[in-house]
Parts: sequence; structure tokens; C-alpha cells
Amino acid sequence: MRQAGLVLGGVIVGIALLCAILAPWIVPHDPFLQNLDNRLAVPFWMEGSNPAHLLGTDQLGRDYLSRLVHGARISMLIGVLTVVASGLIGTTLGVLGGFFGGRVDDAVLFAITCRLAIPVVLVALAVVGLLGSSLTLVILVLGLLLWDRFAVVARSTTMQLRNLDYVAAAWSAGVSTPGILLKEILPNIASHLAVVATLEMALAILLEAALSFLGLGVPPPLPSWGLMIAEGKDYMFFSPWVIFIPGVTLFIVVLGINLLGDGLRDLLGAGDTR
Amino acid sequence: MTPAIEVRGLCRSFRQRGGLLGQDRTVVAVDDVSFTLAGGGVLGVVGESGCGKSTLARIILGLLPPTAGEVLVEGRRLAAMDRRARARLIQPVFQDPFASLNPRRRIRDIVAMPLVAQGDIPARQVADRAAEMLARVGLSAEQAERYPAQLSGGQRQRVAIARALVLRPRIVICDEPTSALDVSVQAQILNLLAELRRELNLTYLFISHNLAVVEHVATEVAVMYLGRIVERATADALFRAPQHPYTKALLASVLTPEPGLGVPDVGLGETLPDPANIPPACRFHPRCPVAEPRCATTTPHAIMTAGGAAECLLLEGAGKP
Repeated sequence: MRQAGLVLGGVIVGIALLCAILAPWIVPHDPFLQNLDNRLAVPFWMEGSNPAHLLGTDQLGRDYLSRLVHGARISMLIGVLTVVASGLIGTTLGVLGGFFGGRVDDAVLFAITCRLAIPVVLVALAVVGLLGSSLTLVILVLGLLLWDRFAVVARSTTMQLRNLDYVAAAWSAGVSTPGILLKEILPNIASHLAVVATLEMALAILLEAALSFLGLGVPPPLPSWGLMIAEGKDYMFFSPWVIFIPGVTLFIVVLGINLLGDGLRDLLGAGDTR
Repeated sequence: MTPAIEVRGLCRSFRQRGGLLGQDRTVVAVDDVSFTLAGGGVLGVVGESGCGKSTLARIILGLLPPTAGEVLVEGRRLAAMDRRARARLIQPVFQDPFASLNPRRRIRDIVAMPLVAQGDIPARQVADRAAEMLARVGLSAEQAERYPAQLSGGQRQRVAIARALVLRPRIVICDEPTSALDVSVQAQILNLLAELRRELNLTYLFISHNLAVVEHVATEVAVMYLGRIVERATADALFRAPQHPYTKALLASVLTPEPGLGVPDVGLGETLPDPANIPPACRFHPRCPVAEPRCATTTPHAIMTAGGAAECLLLEGAGKP
């Protein structure tokens, strides 16, 4: 049964990644092409739907399926890049603090505490207010702010490992400190970090949607799921699918990532190290 | 001739935090330990848990800085050497072969690690020397491709030995190298260590709480009690005629295979010694079965014995009328 979650999560994330990579080649229409004669066309399960627009069109007549698939691109791009940036920052800080202890660890703990005291949405608001909204800015803000959990997990797992005999053996064998960190410590905490990465990715995607909904994230006309919900909210009473479709998609993708993370934790936790 | 290892006045204490209300305590793990060991010898270090024998090993390996004192290897100060130079002289074999091998690396990479760390050995030579060493400890080329989890405890300890010897060090610190292994495998590992010592002219510091093992491998024995070496003698003399009451008790505590005898009573009482609270004068007197009143007030000094030296006031008295 445990495997079921892992497989389901993997399939969902796989589809989302495929959509993100192949978006320009698989969508039926240009996601930016407006057609004001064909606004708010209904999706396939409702009467009077147009087979050319399976999920209908939005308030500007743009094909909703094409925008949804292109939205996966934005979400996955933000998810992956945020995790890469925050993973690099957090893992570096955590491993250094956990391995060296003492003053270094004090500094790392202080950095983590400072980071936790910063409200992400408020910073995003201020930065967007100063610099204007853009995709790069959203990735930068999230990447520079979501590293705390990486740091905490990397720090505690490194502390457990640094007293193990194989680290002492590498030290006695004359392996350099960077060598020990990269070859003895990092491969053995990677499974824990992979689990954190999935959680952070889901969080980053949700935060992007929230920021875009508030108008602080990805600028229109880029098809972000959060932005689609925001743009559709004026039409929700007569055309509920305009917020229903991106909302459900967001929910399923985040659920899939979390299932994958849980599955990975069980899989790696059981067969881990020894 | 310069001894292979010379240890002078080695001390190591740890601060133990007392928490919010408690007082900080100082734990003395190693207290003024000095000895020399000639090249090719095997010094067995014995003592009960918490007597500081593993701390001594970690200091000599350079894993832990001493609070005082110094370690000389072939006449050179260990503290003044860089880690790579030290690695060429002295290598460890640890107790638990399940913790001493990185689970994410292949056996051949583990054994090649000390060679790679030297940084100036060509890759070709690294592979050859690692393969040669693995063959020498009795592992096949096919096993070299595996991960530690795919090997048995005895095989893993062979890997640890190969890793320790691949740089051809002068000294190997064996910290209870067989106590995590099955009895049937222990003898194989001990014989392998003995063969390799003869072949490569190694010097061993052999730490163990298993007296039978020490008797088998050691040429000299040091008995540690609460951080001090209380008796030091050649293996023959120590096992034939122990001088210190603690050594006598240790030897008497060995389990006999005879059924029905149970655990022997050695007259040490049931309290374990606390290294944070070392008794004054003779540190063994509260547990000593032959203690006299003066043992609680006078600190004993090392007395020469037949095969070495021991720290006991009663031996001092024995020489006088």
C-alpha cells in the first residue's frame, strides 16, 4: 500500500513535468491568442461545448487547456529552481554548522533564526513594490527565503554522521575536509534532503500561486495557475470552471508531490544506510 | 633506537554541562599517560568500559586534541604533522565494521580512499594497490565491486583492515577490532592481523576488554583504570604474575567455560567507577579488596616489577621490612 502513494505521486509529478517540458509542442492552441468572439466557452462536460476547446476558454477567449499546460511550465520552473537555489543555500549552511559545531554552528543557527523571523509574503510584497513583478524575481525571492528546512535537516543529520567511525576513518586517512563533506557526509544525508526537496517544491508552487493571485507573482499574460484563478474570480458565479479547473490542477499537483515525498521517505528510511 | 610510539604525559578531560541548575562537571578520561612502544611490538591496552582506552586511541590517531602532553611517532611530534603525512604513519581499525564503512561507497573506493587522499598517486597505481591489498586480506575482485551492506561482518572488518594498511603505515591502532564479530570470525581476523604484522613489520596498539584476545596477540600489556595506566608489563609477566590488585581482579573476572560456576566474584563490589568523580590518592582504593587505610591518603607511584611497573602502595611496602 505504501508503494501506491509513491507510484501515484510519481505519475502525477511525471505528467506535470512532461507538460512543463513539452508544453509548446502538445497544446492545441497558442495560450496567448485572444478571441473575443469566443469568450468563456464551456468545457467538455457541459452542454454546448466546442471540441476544439476541451476545457473551454477564459474571459479573453484564450484556450483554457493550453493555458493550463503552459501553467505547469511556470509552476514546475518555479518549483525546481526554488528548490535548487534554497537547497544549495540550506544544505551548505546546515552541513557546515553540523560538521564543525561551535562558533560555525552558532552562526548557522543565528542565520536560521533570522530567516524564520522574515515573513515571506511581506518580503515578496516589498520586493515587487520596489522592482515590479517578474518570474525571475519570484524565483529569487522564494529561492533565497525557503532554505530554512534544508538547513535544519542537513544540520541535524550531519551532526549524527560526523561522529561515526567512517568519518573518523576518512579523517585518519588524510582526506581533506571538503572531501569528507562531499563524499562521506553528503551522499548519506541525500535521502533526507530529497524528502525536504519535495516538501519545499510543493510549498514553492503554492506560494507562487498565492503571490500570483495577489498580483505579486508572475505578471500577466503569463499563464500561471494562481493568476488564472485571480483573473477568473470575477466570473466564478456564472462560469465556475474558470477557477475550478486551475484550482483542482494545483491541488492535484501539490498532492502528487507530497505523496512522492512521503513515499520516498518510507522507501529510503526503510532501506537506508543500515 | 627511537620507539615507534612514544606518549608523554597525555591528559584529556571533557567538560560536561550540568544543565540549568546543575554544576558543570569535568570528566577526566585520560590522566597523565606515558609509555613507549618499540617497533614491531603489540601493546595491548585493557580495562573496563569508561577507563579511557578509546579516548587514548582517538588522541593518538589525532582525532581528538589532548589537553596536555604529546605523542611522538618515530621520534616526530604527531601534532606538528599534517594529516596526510600522519596518515602514512598511523592508521585505525575500528570496532564496529558496520559503522566504519561508508554505506554509499563501493568496497574498492573505500580501500582506495587513503591512496586518493594522498593526492600524488596516479589513478592506475591507486587501483592496482587497492586491488592488491584487497586480495591480501582475502577478498575477491567481485566483492570489491559491492557495497558494505552486501558483505558479512568479518568481510567488512577485512575491508577496514585493507583500508588501514593500503598506505603501508608503520602503526595500526586497533580499537576493539574483534568485539563486534561472531566468535567464529574473531579468530580469523586476529590471525590475519598477526600475519600482516609479521609481513609488513607493523606496530599495533591493540585496545580490548577481552583478556583472552590480548593474551593471544600482545607482546606487552597496559592495564588502564580511570584514565591511568595502573600496571604495565610484558604479556608473559602480566598474565603469569599480575602485580596490581586491579589486574588480578580483571584476570579473575574471565568467564570459565565450566558450567555451574556462573560469573566469578572478584571482590570489586557492584559500583562502577565514575570518571567525573575520581577518588583521591589511589583511585582504585574504594573498590580494592586489599586496600589499607593509607591507600585513601597517599598517592601511589609507579613501582618497578618483574616484567614492568605498577602503581600500588602495597608493592612499595612489600620491598621494605
